[in-house]
Amino acid sequence: MNLGKGHIEIAGVAKSYDGFTYAVHGVNLKIPDGAYCCILGPSGCGKTTILRMVAGHEDPTVGEILIGGENVVGLPPVERRTAMMFQSYALFPHLTVRDNIAFALRVRGLSKTERYAKTDAMIEKVRMTEFSDRLPAQLSGGQQQRVALARAAITEPRVLLLDEPLSALDEHLRIRMRAELRRMQRELGITFVHVTHTQLEAIALADMVVVMENGKIKQSGPAREIYAAPKDRYVAEFLGGQNVLSGKVGKINGTRAMIASPEIAGIQIPMHAGARLEAGQAIDIAVRRDDVELFREDTALSDQDMASVPATILGIEYQGNFVKVMLDAAGEAEFVAYVPERRFFENPFKVGDSVLAAWLIDRAHLLA
Amino acid sequence: MSLARVSDVVATSVSARRSRAIAPTSGRRPWTFYVLAILFTLYLLALYGPMACIYILSLQDLRGGLVFPIKGLSLHWFVDLFTQVRTGDVQGSFERSFKLALVVTVLTVVVSFLAGLGFRKRFAGDTVVFYMMIGSLVAPGLVLGIGVGLIFNAVGIDASLFTSALGAQLSWTLPFGVLVMFAVMSRFDHAWEEAARDLGASPWQTIRLVVIPVLAPGIVAVALFGFTLSYDEFARTLQTAGSLNTLPLEIWSMTLNITSPALYALGTVTTIVSFLVIGASLGTIAFMQKRREARAPGQQGGAA
Amino acid sequence: MAQSAAFKRNLAGWAYVAPLVVVLIPFFVLPLIAVVAASFFETDGFGGLFPAFNLDNYTEILTSGLTFNLYYETIKFTVLTWFFSLLIGFFVAYFLVFHVRNQLLALGLFLLCTVPFWTSNIIRMISWIPLLGKEGLVNEALLKLGLIDQPLEFLLFSSFAVVVAYVHQLTIFMIVPIFNAMGRIDKRVVEAALDAGASRFDIMRLIIVPLSKSGIALGSIFVISIVMGDFFVVKVMSGGGSASVVGAFYENISVLQYPTAAASAVLLTIILVITVGLIIRFVDIRKEITR
Repeated sequence: MNLGKGHIEIAGVAKSYDGFTYAVHGVNLKIPDGAYCCILGPSGCGKTTILRMVAGHEDPTVGEILIGGENVVGLPPVERRTAMMFQSYALFPHLTVRDNIAFALRVRGLSKTERYAKTDAMIEKVRMTEFSDRLPAQLSGGQQQRVALARAAITEPRVLLLDEPLSALDEHLRIRMRAELRRMQRELGITFVHVTHTQLEAIALADMVVVMENGKIKQSGPAREIYAAPKDRYVAEFLGGQNVLSGKVGKINGTRAMIASPEIAGIQIPMHAGARLEAGQAIDIAVRRDDVELFREDTALSDQDMASVPATILGIEYQGNFVKVMLDAAGEAEFVAYVPERRFFENPFKVGDSVLAAWLIDRAHLLA
Repeated sequence: MSLARVSDVVATSVSARRSRAIAPTSGRRPWTFYVLAILFTLYLLALYGPMACIYILSLQDLRGGLVFPIKGLSLHWFVDLFTQVRTGDVQGSFERSFKLALVVTVLTVVVSFLAGLGFRKRFAGDTVVFYMMIGSLVAPGLVLGIGVGLIFNAVGIDASLFTSALGAQLSWTLPFGVLVMFAVMSRFDHAWEEAARDLGASPWQTIRLVVIPVLAPGIVAVALFGFTLSYDEFARTLQTAGSLNTLPLEIWSMTLNITSPALYALGTVTTIVSFLVIGASLGTIAFMQKRREARAPGQQGGAA
Repeated sequence: MAQSAAFKRNLAGWAYVAPLVVVLIPFFVLPLIAVVAASFFETDGFGGLFPAFNLDNYTEILTSGLTFNLYYETIKFTVLTWFFSLLIGFFVAYFLVFHVRNQLLALGLFLLCTVPFWTSNIIRMISWIPLLGKEGLVNEALLKLGLIDQPLEFLLFSSFAVVVAYVHQLTIFMIVPIFNAMGRIDKRVVEAALDAGASRFDIMRLIIVPLSKSGIALGSIFVISIVMGDFFVVKVMSGGGSASVVGAFYENISVLQYPTAAASAVLLTIILVITVGLIIRFVDIRKEITR
């Protein structure tokens, strides 16, 4: 086996704190060396537990965790060569920026000159040189994050674990620091595992996104795949950007199937190669919000490749580069169309208008 | 940056407007403020007034009595205190009290610190220990003192300052110390310890390099409690001190026999010692904070 | 594995509190047991104690009219001191937390209240003598003002003086925990109540008092246990006019009546435990303190 030193494999891991309920259960995951991996899920889904088990701050109840091909369960963090960046950073309040970053070298017994030489290079890397004598309380949120990153990186870890690293920052800063995280990951060339509950953060940063629910992994893969081809209703709804419709399969006709259930009766769905459907089977389909087009209700759709449902406009939100139109359609709690700004204002709709929401049949995506 | 400053201004003005009614940050104060301010002033007067009286009366000359008006101005009674045999062994008892208090302080700090660390996590039987501690705090001191005397008697050890009295005082200072430690540690973020561990620190390094420095001001506060509670302890020491008196015991016997301002002079002296100890403690805390900031110059940083 | 983790945690916990337990057992638990045991013993009247199971000591103190009187006096002082120290302590804390605008000033004033706590209680008590005595400042001032034509006798060496000395010493025990509890009240809760149309009195009754409950409970435990366990203030400040349970205990000890003294101490401890127990039932102080 030739696994990179920062390759992580989580095999059959479960964690229970009380012996009855499981915080995570049956988790299998491989994260390639040098990847930026985001674990995404709502609070309480077990994502932080996984991170802490990889870090060595918790032990799995069952299962194995391998880093670089070696089982690390039971090893302390230093021996795993992992480093963690804590939520709200946990910078030592009594130490200056330099001493915070030098901490790991100090406990390793390096002399003051040695450790400061190394530390100053790292401070330079995170562009904090002019602040190196400050205390954490004298830094802004973004600066604190850089210090936390430098403090973790100075141990030369093969894996850096980040627990909600951006949640303490305001919206504006979050986007800036997001880019900085990605830059640092590229520079350090090590595996990053980043836990977050924000979909946008995950898909913007990650090579690999892992979606979790109730202690289990729902789907993992490249960001684009997760976003564009969610496996099921949960992933589609959690990632957002998709409308999910439910129905029963009616007539099957070559590469297309007709839906027969009351809410969306008559619309057609694509049958990709290998897809197996039977008449009467209950299914969910996902349609991207930006694939939905709106037409006046009296429009006769001539295109054979379009599917459509009647809808009423519940609300309109201007988003700058597009307009978010909320619809009452297909019996779904949420059905949204993202209409490009220019197109919308050519012939604007009002709240209460009856419309047809239509999309190209082949753009619809079948969910499990 | 300017955006942040604007939002700061907005935030402060909003909160200022919001909080006007109950605790106004600007504008007219409510009538309750004046009533309570008067009450508070009276409280402070009653707190310090009587003490000020005895300090003044202790400075009288030979003709001085126990009440006003003040007769003359001299240090006569202070000299009297340390020279006259009839006032008892003031100097000796002071030295003993001071030494005992130092020992109690060190033990209180160490034991409270450890117990504070222990109580942060639940463990089987922690409630028993907790209520044992509360019990020790509320139990009548004199009764405990007698009990300690009985135990020492039964075991066949003579009661003395650094055995029975030391233990009896610890049964009083430790619950205080641990309670203060609780308050101090409630502001200690568990993530700091985890971060230290993550960076490779051993448990001992974590305590030495992170826990103790962060908690240092609180530890000084525990020391202050330990020292002054021991230095002023009376009820538990009365039956456990053995043949030699501590200062409060000396004062107690003086209140029963002495009717001269020498008593007040003694009060002044012990209060000066107390104030020196308080000053030293607060000074140490301030010094620690200053030193931290001195190592970190720089203007006031951005928002934390 | 989960079991061994729990075992390790318990072991670590006990290791940390071991020094505390090592002090408390010989200097709190055993002495208490010794006193309880002594209360059943017999004595030769010269300090000798003989193991026995003898309830005479209890029948003696329970049937004596003197006992009733002692407890009446002690409970009277306890209730009065508790009431006044709570009243003053509550409003001082309320003033500092909710009325002083500058936080630093509030903290400074708070520290000013606590300074005397660090000085000798005995000295603070006798410092009332030049004020309250027959020729003390208060009487002098009242005479000069013509409000009285004879010095007030009840000021010093009286029940009044006892309560004054107690309140003077113990109000700080109310201020500190109540100040802490009030400091944790989110000011926005008060604002929300104001927005909902609550009056000043409503806010006090429905928000401040309930949320300061833990501080009040803790302060009450301190004050009640200290007053009930004290004999010194009563002895000096009442001028011998009043007695107290612990005072009588001390007298009994000095005439070597250990078993009677012990029985009385046990009775007092039971009353104290019941009182403190009631307060603790009312507020989980462990949760409040460690929070």
